[in-house]
Amino acid sequence: MNRTDSKVIEIHSTRAETQNPLSEICWKTVGVWGNVKPRCPNLEKVIHCRNCEIFISAGRNLLERDMPDEYKTEWTEVMSAEKEDDLPGTVSAVVFRIEEEWLALRTTVFSEIIAPENLRSHSLPHRKNPILIGVVNIHGEIQLCISLKELLGIEAGYPEKQEKPATHHRVMVLNSSEGQWVFPVNEILGIYRIHPNMFQNVPVTVAKAQSTFTKGLFHLENRQVALLDDDLLLYSLKRNLQ
Amino acid sequence: MYTIKCENVREIAPMVTLKPVPHRPDFFAGFFNYRGTVVPVIDLCRLIHGCPCRMRLSTRIILADYAGKGNRTDTIGLIAERVTETVRKPKDAFVFSGSRAATAPYLGGIVMEQKKMIQYIDLNLLPNCIDFLPEEEDKL
Repeated sequence: MNRTDSKVIEIHSTRAETQNPLSEICWKTVGVWGNVKPRCPNLEKVIHCRNCEIFISAGRNLLERDMPDEYKTEWTEVMSAEKEDDLPGTVSAVVFRIEEEWLALRTTVFSEIIAPENLRSHSLPHRKNPILIGVVNIHGEIQLCISLKELLGIEAGYPEKQEKPATHHRVMVLNSSEGQWVFPVNEILGIYRIHPNMFQNVPVTVAKAQSTFTKGLFHLENRQVALLDDDLLLYSLKRNLQ
Repeated sequence: MYTIKCENVREIAPMVTLKPVPHRPDFFAGFFNYRGTVVPVIDLCRLIHGCPCRMRLSTRIILADYAGKGNRTDTIGLIAERVTETVRKPKDAFVFSGSRAATAPYLGGIVMEQKKMIQYIDLNLLPNCIDFLPEEEDKL
């Protein structure tokens, strides 16, 4: 194949993809983002436009635009910089708050985080255990809702600081081999990667119940966060509720 | 359309400004400052089709590892257009066409994906065809 031949073929293939049989923005008229009748016949098969070949190729064609010079310069700089290597033993953890205490648990033990508006826990009569709040319906399955605050012995925060209740409240769902545990938290800061050398020793003066669960303490944006031992936490939850 | 094995690919980088090097074949695009190391970059379109890659947003540099001289693993950059998709294919899906170009033995079997024919590029054979590469690195 000589030089001109190959060039011709490439140009043709580009043109064929930009011209689709329907109008160029069919997803905004007969597709899911429009309500023009009759509906696109392909919708029955693909359910949503994002599964449709026309939509996909239109998206791909966005990448066929010319490359701006700034793009190239910016990436040249980014790619020439050293990559930040993760230290071995780095863990990813979700940082959350219960009353005044910032705590963290490994991200892998979480199955999801839910806004509490969608949940209502049902208390269990004749169960006096303060750790057990009740049962909740998580996607149609009944799970035990527990209070991490009671388990860890965290005291309620100052009353004047509780002025805006429930704005940041979330419900976290923990996965374990026996099933899921659900517990409410006051606020979630986010997911962070924690280097092993960020950890400080747990001071001996920390309240004893909490320190046994604490694997390590670290600073995060002026906050002192305690990383909890998830194995121990799940184990003691199981024991407490039997 | 062409395909390479994912396991050799170290990273897909966006197109960057390369350091041009004179007295090299025209498919040699230049040197890439890849996180502090110098990586030679080949323009695949130029090598295979004879015309340079067009500078589109989908044009990217594939950073791939290959077995260099003396059991070293070297990295090479390959510029290609429309680096947008990965597919999973069984080994026997690749059909060898029966004709192999003597000057381009790295062009391998054909695999079908959505009625399009995609040719496999063997990254282990490619560096041998670009004979100036390993020698150049030995001197450095």
